[in-house]
Amino acid sequence: MGGMNHNKFPAFGIALLAILLLTAGCEPQSRFVKKTAFKGSHDIIITFAAPVDAAWATDTAHYRVYEKPDPDIRLEVASSSLSKNGHEVRLHFQEELNQDQPHMVTVKNIMSGGKSLGTTVVKVKKLYLSFLFSILIGAMLIQNFVFTKYLGLCVFFGTSQKKSTAVGMGITFTIVMVFSAMMSWALYQFVLKPYHLDYLQIIVFIGLVSLSVQAVDTVLRKVNPLLFKAFGVYLVLVIANCIIMAVPLILADNEYNAWESLMLSLGAGLGFLVALFLMSSVRERLELANVPRTYRGLPIAFVVAGLFALAFLGFSGMSIF
Amino acid sequence: MDLSLIKLAIGGLALLGCIGLFFGIGLALAAHKFAVEVNPKVEEVLEVLAGAQ
Repeated sequence: MGGMNHNKFPAFGIALLAILLLTAGCEPQSRFVKKTAFKGSHDIIITFAAPVDAAWATDTAHYRVYEKPDPDIRLEVASSSLSKNGHEVRLHFQEELNQDQPHMVTVKNIMSGGKSLGTTVVKVKKLYLSFLFSILIGAMLIQNFVFTKYLGLCVFFGTSQKKSTAVGMGITFTIVMVFSAMMSWALYQFVLKPYHLDYLQIIVFIGLVSLSVQAVDTVLRKVNPLLFKAFGVYLVLVIANCIIMAVPLILADNEYNAWESLMLSLGAGLGFLVALFLMSSVRERLELANVPRTYRGLPIAFVVAGLFALAFLGFSGMSIF
Repeated sequence: MDLSLIKLAIGGLALLGCIGLFFGIGLALAAHKFAVEVNPKVEEVLEVLAGAQ
């Protein structure tokens, strides 16, 4: 019975992921406009379902483009060109496009085969999956919670002495993180917000975190007693970990949706795993190194963490896609 | 005082309470299912020790 459940669960997950892939980024567009996309930093490509007239397509007066938040600011189309098969129109802009904002393009009076097909408004935006991916990488490396925000240091220094413990802690932490963040997201969106109980969010989030930690504690004690012993007091300390409290608050603040929340919590957990792994690798070597007596143990660990933070500063200001 | 606001607050608190109760029962069941036998002597020894730490 248990084995069957184990087999069913990944299949269900894959099915869910497939649905996400199919629906993500799909926006109801006009029937005649098949696809819109950014191309490079200065161009927008509009793909039509059938060839359009060249004389119509190359006249820039037929396009009106603005960023979705500022309908008053029109972006000047410098030139437009038609592809050889007549399906694709490429709008070229003098200025660089801000691809973080969706753009609205009004296509006036589309002419195809000598017939007018009316005016339509289409939306151009970055692929949603890449946005999700950028949240994941952002939380994991660029804005690593340990090295750039200095959160969760207690557990970080406590369990990074041995590589095996560190990896175990990182994985457990990621599971607890995703579990509690998703629950707190759902609770915030569907209970706290509709009932105007936002001011209770910290108490509710603490309750949810301690719930998931208690669940992991109960299960791990039975399933893997060795790892449980290695964690010692730090497993319970996860309750008071700043990262695990910070993520639900960030989610509530930014009004993220379910997938974005999943990516942020996963990124935060994996970022913590990466930080623990790096740190434990160094600390295992420090055991053998000839460290001055005053620096032995935690002091040198803090120095190393500072150096890591400096290295991670190299990621700052980076943006993906 | 607006009656609808009071209704909203009571409804929210009742819902939160129900969720708490649900998770509490869930944890209790999990603790029952994953129970680990602890040697009763361990606790007796701990009781006798000073226990400052």
